[in-house]
Amino acid sequence: MTSPAEQALLEKIDVLQLPGPTARVEAIRERFIAVVPEICVERAQLVTAAYKETEDQPVILRRARALEKILDNMTIFIQPDEIIVGNQCTKPRSAPVFPEFSCKWLEDELDRLEKRTGDVFLISEEKKAVLRELFPYWNGRTTNELATALMTPESKEAQRRGVFTVGNYYFNGVGHISVDYALVLEKGLSGVVAAAEAELAKLELTNPAHLAKHQFLTAVTAANKAVIRFAGRFSALAADMAATEADPGRKAELLEIARVCAKVPAEPAGSFAEALQSFWFIQLVLQIESNGHSISPMRFDQYLFPHLLADKAVTAEKAQELLDLLFIKFNEINKVRDEGSTKAFGGYPMFQNLIVGGVDREGEDATNPLSYMCLQATANTKLYQPSISIRVHSDTPRALYEKAAEVTRLGLGMPAYYNDRFIIPALLSRGLTREDARDYGIIGCVEPQVGGKTEGWHDAAFFNIAKVLELTINDGVDPLSGERLGPSTGELTTLATYDDLMAAYRKQMAHFVKLLVISDNAVDVAHGQRAPLPFLSSLVDDCIAKGLSLQQGGAHYNFTGPQGVGVANVADSLAALKKLVYEDKAVTLAEIKAALADDFAGVAGESLRQMLLNRAPKYGNDEPYADDIAHEAALAYCREVEKYTNPRGGGFQPGLYPVSANVPLGAVVGATPDGRKAGAPLADGVSPVSGMDHSGPTASVKSVTKLDHVIASNGTLLNMKFHPNALKDSQGISNLIAVTETLFNGGGTHIQYNVINKETLRDAQAHPENYRGLVVRVAGYSAFFTSLDQAIQEDIISRTEQMF
Amino acid sequence: MTLRKRFQLYAPKAAQAGEPVGLVSDFQRFSIHDGPGIRTIVFLKGCPLRCQWCQNPEDMLPRPELLYIRNNCIGCGKCLETCPARCITADGPHGVAIDKAACRLPECGACQAVCYANAITICGRHLTVDEVLEEVELDREFYDRSGGGVTFSGGEPFAQPRFLLALARAAKARGLDTAVETSGYADWEVMLPVMAHLDTVLYDVKHMDPQAHRRLTGVDNARILDNLRRVDALGLPIRVRVPLVPGLNDGPENLRRTAAFAAELSHVAALDLLPYHRMGEPKWGQLEKDYPLRGVSPHAREEVVALAALLEGSPVRVTIGG
Ligand code: SF4
Ligand code: SF4
Repeated sequence: MTSPAEQALLEKIDVLQLPGPTARVEAIRERFIAVVPEICVERAQLVTAAYKETEDQPVILRRARALEKILDNMTIFIQPDEIIVGNQCTKPRSAPVFPEFSCKWLEDELDRLEKRTGDVFLISEEKKAVLRELFPYWNGRTTNELATALMTPESKEAQRRGVFTVGNYYFNGVGHISVDYALVLEKGLSGVVAAAEAELAKLELTNPAHLAKHQFLTAVTAANKAVIRFAGRFSALAADMAATEADPGRKAELLEIARVCAKVPAEPAGSFAEALQSFWFIQLVLQIESNGHSISPMRFDQYLFPHLLADKAVTAEKAQELLDLLFIKFNEINKVRDEGSTKAFGGYPMFQNLIVGGVDREGEDATNPLSYMCLQATANTKLYQPSISIRVHSDTPRALYEKAAEVTRLGLGMPAYYNDRFIIPALLSRGLTREDARDYGIIGCVEPQVGGKTEGWHDAAFFNIAKVLELTINDGVDPLSGERLGPSTGELTTLATYDDLMAAYRKQMAHFVKLLVISDNAVDVAHGQRAPLPFLSSLVDDCIAKGLSLQQGGAHYNFTGPQGVGVANVADSLAALKKLVYEDKAVTLAEIKAALADDFAGVAGESLRQMLLNRAPKYGNDEPYADDIAHEAALAYCREVEKYTNPRGGGFQPGLYPVSANVPLGAVVGATPDGRKAGAPLADGVSPVSGMDHSGPTASVKSVTKLDHVIASNGTLLNMKFHPNALKDSQGISNLIAVTETLFNGGGTHIQYNVINKETLRDAQAHPENYRGLVVRVAGYSAFFTSLDQAIQEDIISRTEQMF
Repeated sequence: MTLRKRFQLYAPKAAQAGEPVGLVSDFQRFSIHDGPGIRTIVFLKGCPLRCQWCQNPEDMLPRPELLYIRNNCIGCGKCLETCPARCITADGPHGVAIDKAACRLPECGACQAVCYANAITICGRHLTVDEVLEEVELDREFYDRSGGGVTFSGGEPFAQPRFLLALARAAKARGLDTAVETSGYADWEVMLPVMAHLDTVLYDVKHMDPQAHRRLTGVDNARILDNLRRVDALGLPIRVRVPLVPGLNDGPENLRRTAAFAAELSHVAALDLLPYHRMGEPKWGQLEKDYPLRGVSPHAREEVVALAALLEGSPVRVTIGG
């Protein structure tokens, strides 16, 4: 039922005809794109000073004091034409430094930041000197160093050899979270302070357990007040700027900014503009307090909607413009990573995932006009943040689905599509209530959780399933280093049956998952001891009620989610061994082992490799033989992971997605029986091995549905590439929806589409080995791009650009 | 494209007991430009035309053929050892030469089985109606959601009339949407019975001038145009497809005549201008045939748009790319 207010809104905002970008939006976007990222040292200076002043304090109070120091003293600015204000650094797109989590790598790589190939940051010699001076203070004090000290030598060795990488909290602060933004919009931070004070009043300080609670709640109060003061600084700045502003239009805007920032986030937000500004302060400060990234707004269209609905004054054009301006702001947040990580996380990603649509807590369709406006904002701003996603369920309005497909066609790789039909049951199986499960959003890349009450450490590790297979083939010895890493599970040639092989694989898996859990839990403990986050904790249930920080188990739901990488390579390898060795006896295990050790050298090696590539079934072609093995290979990992618990009182839950870790993880794995050469990238997420998906996207989709996506409740990822021609008209849109729906009906949970562009094809020309599966479908014909000769490739590139 | 693994190894035709068997060169799933929705194309091998621009030259001859892809060859020599006719010889450090005159296809096929690198492939499998439709049914869910189905193409599908009829009839019986992509060069007597089992006809009109048509395709167009009128009289939805080949049939006069002809018909849903591309060119080489249009560059987009603009006044809807 539509209420009269909703009816009025629908009359004001035609979701099928949303406004395009205004001149202001275009201008600010242009200005943003021109900025080259730099390193900003201000935060590092302030946090170091604060830590030096508070060495006698309990850690949670030190964290609050550090946040106060930063927010009270950092440089702030309001850029020309801005309406939504708030900056992370001295310049937009600059990256702050967080020495309290780790800084050794930054010290080592300071001179490389400008020179490295990906994610370059400018930094002057003066700034380098500033950092070099403060780094020594942190020596031995970081969360990273404590975590390392807590790990066992065996687990560190496994990491060093590439069996797994511990997720980014090893080197960074906690992130990967969504807070209760709705609470801030409804009650304001003064409401949060009041709640903390109410809990404080209840404490009985003779009770020894209450002493720690007292510290925590005091820290919460201080942190929230610091954020309120921070907004106040913007209010004062805007008022100052208004006083000297000659243009009366801009003067009025500045006065309005001054008014809004004096009110929010301290007080409940009223108008749409106030709500956006309040939201932005929260989103911003969370990324000043810590650098865990993937601070995800999640169901923004839900909690912001009441403010759009109630705002009678705002026009459709103005509302869209405000939203567009906020979307641009998301892109100003940045983060510097070590050079190794830029290979797994290239392109300055911040993974601020904003999701629209889906069902509400009662199970009814939750789509509203703001859902459409968010998709429009992505189309209007054409930037990479926020990472926009859409939840679909059986009653998703066709118009919203089509709107999403139109955004897909723009070639930004967004939105990502998520499937309510299987994600909700997956979350139920992890103990969420029905209402909470229905209320899920997405963290970072693909990880589902309910916002505002979960500490899910979704980015807990990338676990190299292909390396485990390699170790199985080599009886637990790493062929690259010659060192024993795992238990002896039998010489390959003694594994007489396929079942013996699988049993050995499972044993190795159990061993390495154990080492993974030890490493993850060490990092978790280190954050609880050295860097609990009072502001973040204050906005997540039940931290205030429990009097406990998020890092010590304050959240209502607690998880640890490590990702398995290389499922398809393991599946194809096992399928090849099963078929060609155990069934057809076309080749022996000894021959395979020798060829793998030699990386398929020589004509005989290459001939065997071709047999492995072309005479064995491959996952991704809608053939049960390989698809069933993929299912088994992934389960062997998932079942092991879900056995364990974390220090916050929650469980481990597996995911199957790689971000781009499939490239560095592939580099440490020798040749594999799927015909992959040593060092080549692993397959991406649950996608088939590149080039092995001979049968086209529909077959891949059907294969992917054979995996168990419900057990992989930390998220799975399927990337699909389409030529723009495939999406060119309304039939193209309906085809895209048909592919998504078939995947989702069959049990897939995520898909995103990359529309091939000229850059992709140029890259495919330069690195054909990475694009063997790239099919171009030009009207009436399709072919593997890399198999075409150059002149024809050039034709296709020019057609791709022109969309025909 | 690659046939699915289960059809990948060539086997000589088994003895048949009455059941129609067709010669299929390939399947293409997720085809989105050959009829409505998401479709699977079944390529039937064999064609009476010899179009100079043919993008599926492996589908001309009505019998299995060897294709040799030199780029895939790793020079392992296995085929040389295996060939019972000794008609394969080494050719350069990483290649072989095949004496096709001495080759014992379709009875043999031994070289393909040992060529793991897929440098030697054999185009053409003898499949039953059920085998073909089993493959087609794999994407049923996609057809149902997108309004798609199966498209019989080739080659010239009507060149295997008995098999095509059985296929189309069985596909319809299974509730599949059916389309055929045809040159229209066939006896109406064999075309007519199939029409009852089709939902859409994609009908090539390559040139309106009989002489030019003969020169470019090897056959006269009178029968083609007659058959098109007859299909139209049946009331089936038709898409007239013009492969737009630079310098050969893209003159304004020919395009106007084609559009005028289409406009006389009653059931033409659209006239699709299919811009020339060269993606099929490598296959001519793999078959050891000379590509007649070597060096002909495709139109630029503006040229195609300009050609389409010539037909603006036509009552028939004109599309680029179909
Ligand atoms: S098909 Fe048989 S005869 Fe012909 S080249 Fe191959 S092996 Fe030789
Ligand atoms: S078997 Fe194949 S790869 Fe080996 S030489 Fe013959 S054609 Fe080349």
